[in-house]
Amino acid sequence: MNLRNYLLKRLLLSVFVLVGLSIVIFVIARIVPGDVARMALGPSAPQFAIEALEKEMHLDKPIPTQYYYWVKGVATGDLGQSLTTKRAVAEDIKEFLPATLELVMISAIIMIIFSILFGSLAAKYRDSWIDTLIRVMAYSGVAVPSFVLAVLLLLIFGYIWPVIPVLGRLSPGIMAPPTITGLITIDSLFTGNFTAFWDALKHLILPAIALSVGPMFQEARLIRSAMTDNMSKDYVAAVTGYGVPNRVIMHKYLLKPSLIPAVSVMGLDLASLMGNAFLVEVIFNWPGISRYGMNAMLQKDLNAISAVIIVFGLIFVIVNIIVDLIVAYLDPRIRLGGKT
Amino acid sequence: MKNLIMRGKRYSLVALLVILMMAFATGCGGGSTDGDTQGATESIVRVTAANVPNIDPGVGSDYSSSIALLNIYDSLVFPDDDGTIKPWLATEWETSDDGLVWTFHLRDDVKFHSGNQLTADDVVFSMKRMLTMGEGYAYLFTEVVEDVAALDDYTVQFKLSKKFGPFLSTLARLYVLDSETVMANLADGPYGDMGDYGKAWLVNNDAGSGPYTVKEMKIQEHLIGEKFDDFWGGWQEGAPEAFQIVGTTEPATVRTLLTRKQLEISDQWQTEEAIRALAEIPGVDIATFFTNSMLNISLNTKKAPTDDIHFRKALAYMFDYQAVEEDIFPGSKKAVGPIQFNLPGFDPNLYEYKTNLDKAREELAKSKYADQLDQYPIDLAWIAEVPDEEKIAMLFQANAAELGIKVNVTKTPWLSFTEQVGTPETTPHASVVFVNPHYNEAGSMLETRYHSRSTGTWEQCEWLQDPEIDAMIEDAIATLDFEERLAKYSLIQEKIIELAPTIWVFDQAEKRAYQDYIHWPSAELSKAGKNVNPVMGYPFYFAEFKVLTDN
Repeated sequence: MNLRNYLLKRLLLSVFVLVGLSIVIFVIARIVPGDVARMALGPSAPQFAIEALEKEMHLDKPIPTQYYYWVKGVATGDLGQSLTTKRAVAEDIKEFLPATLELVMISAIIMIIFSILFGSLAAKYRDSWIDTLIRVMAYSGVAVPSFVLAVLLLLIFGYIWPVIPVLGRLSPGIMAPPTITGLITIDSLFTGNFTAFWDALKHLILPAIALSVGPMFQEARLIRSAMTDNMSKDYVAAVTGYGVPNRVIMHKYLLKPSLIPAVSVMGLDLASLMGNAFLVEVIFNWPGISRYGMNAMLQKDLNAISAVIIVFGLIFVIVNIIVDLIVAYLDPRIRLGGKT
Repeated sequence: MKNLIMRGKRYSLVALLVILMMAFATGCGGGSTDGDTQGATESIVRVTAANVPNIDPGVGSDYSSSIALLNIYDSLVFPDDDGTIKPWLATEWETSDDGLVWTFHLRDDVKFHSGNQLTADDVVFSMKRMLTMGEGYAYLFTEVVEDVAALDDYTVQFKLSKKFGPFLSTLARLYVLDSETVMANLADGPYGDMGDYGKAWLVNNDAGSGPYTVKEMKIQEHLIGEKFDDFWGGWQEGAPEAFQIVGTTEPATVRTLLTRKQLEISDQWQTEEAIRALAEIPGVDIATFFTNSMLNISLNTKKAPTDDIHFRKALAYMFDYQAVEEDIFPGSKKAVGPIQFNLPGFDPNLYEYKTNLDKAREELAKSKYADQLDQYPIDLAWIAEVPDEEKIAMLFQANAAELGIKVNVTKTPWLSFTEQVGTPETTPHASVVFVNPHYNEAGSMLETRYHSRSTGTWEQCEWLQDPEIDAMIEDAIATLDFEERLAKYSLIQEKIIELAPTIWVFDQAEKRAYQDYIHWPSAELSKAGKNVNPVMGYPFYFAEFKVLTDN
């Protein structure tokens, strides 16, 4: 199967997955306890207001009909109104998604760079003190949940050693750049606003570290394990025998194939960073979509719940396709249609 | 070997570069906003809250929204610390003999933030908007206000559909919008000619005349209001130039901000342990004051065994109120009956259930379930989102065990709870719930807690449904004379206390940590042992604060 057909097949499958996901979430959100209109308008809201809201949201109709209206709205870009923020959900997503994407992007960069660095260092110096140190760090890093690490970082850098901002995306008094992508670091670079860039970057450091440490060490262990396995393979002995320099062996013959298992896990981790971001966003008062989604669930904000789940599903699907493409690039057997 | 060393150096170099980058990132930017000195000399009052407010007066009604609204908008009248109502936009008013027509005379020197003059038409517009939308505080008016009209530029008249004595109190929640500005910002919506009634625009903007105007509204982050120089009420020296409501209650975040002097007042959701830790921060005091929040254990009067009056009385006598006051919620005040002690209409001379195990046993013996307690275990629900309620539930369970009553304690999520109390059959025997009045008078508590109309909602898990009490409540709130009304409230309380449908546990003391470089009138009043304005949000009228920059 060539790459084009493979991609088409994956995209088609993804559409089915997203439709299925939307149906499941739509039904679950509507059958869990809680009177939506009453929740939104308050316990004393007059009956006419409750009925008007139910009519507006089609809550007075059967669930399949409600779903039909929802899909019809989505097709035209209308995701409905949020009952908590009182704005169009599409507008909320537009505002909160970039904040989380920016956080996840920086976390991913930290995660990828340091997992490869720590993984290859541990493999290279296996059974030495470096390996032991990285192993201890890995156990601690994986064992400590990201929200605990977030609180620790907040207390250390906010309370004991206040050298770095701990809340929000920008310091008061720093003018945000005009919105182009919604990612403040990127937008400030595009507009040449370096003050905002540095400030935004500083705000990203703590939440990004809190979010990335766990998966980073998990992947470092995978890379280390794959590299040490590959080191004992015949082809490595052969290229060593041919006098290929160690540096080339490490980078060309060992690192690339050893990244394959880690890249698949990285894909999953990247997507799950979005969900894990919730507590980190709460602690660092980060106005992201994970926090928005969790609040929507607590408030039974139906339109917001459906939209957030679909956005997360979409991101998960896209990341997985990208990961598959990277794995295909790294492993010629997949690229050439062979068996793995 | 040489290769190895070279490679080792390369990895070290990469690591060093990354560390340097991070150090650079943390060090760059001058740090003017990061250091621990920011805030102390800034003229701003920042407060954390459970959520960022809804600043549309036709929509917002929770705690943080109430704080924001009263600082951005003005109302016709203003609640005073002692529970009375004082003139505000309205300088005086009169009522018709039948109490159905209320006429208000307005100030003629009030300007909106837009520069427009505030007139009676704006009051009419604001009330009609509220009645049409039916959201936020509209529930105070929809059953009462029949019509509203401007008699001239500065006279407005309300026609009521029924007599309603506490009407003045409720008007403190009618925040007046600049109709011209709202009309200029209408979008498509369900309200006919009025489109969306300006709802979309008012999510992030204001159309008020209050002491502060919206500078920045970021949903999920904060609201920043800045001083409106032309405020009709004038400004006292030292008043904050700005206020900020930050939407977080995360203890570590709050503690960090207070320590860095980037927060002036904490939210009230910090646990007792967290409050004690905050009090240790240099320059931080704790303000303790009573708003109108009260904790009740509501007893289902329609389900055995709590349908028996003697059984209910036994529970009221067996409960250890002192343990709550001293250990679980220190600083709180034991409740006497259904009305909070600081609410107009509270009667301190009423009968009070106190812990008395002998009396509890006596009442239990009179109950029809006395000999079959093992067949009638009690289900008690507490709200999962309020962890401290579990301590109350456990105490109740332990107390009941002393009388031989078995209690099954259930942690119930709020959404499930509100569904569960929809019928008497599914409502638990006992429910631990915090309650608040809707307006500043006993009538509100009596109506929303004990009138038959309120059954099926979380506010009345008792299912009292007593026609005599219903009639007494309706008569009382229709009484125009204040003193006469209060006397009627007393009689109703007496009757309800006799029926013991509720264990009135305590009036909640709200505790907040605050910086000593601000002058916070409510904190000062509370320190002096005086009443603090009990109406939700009003202890946070920032125009009366001062930022003591010489501190």
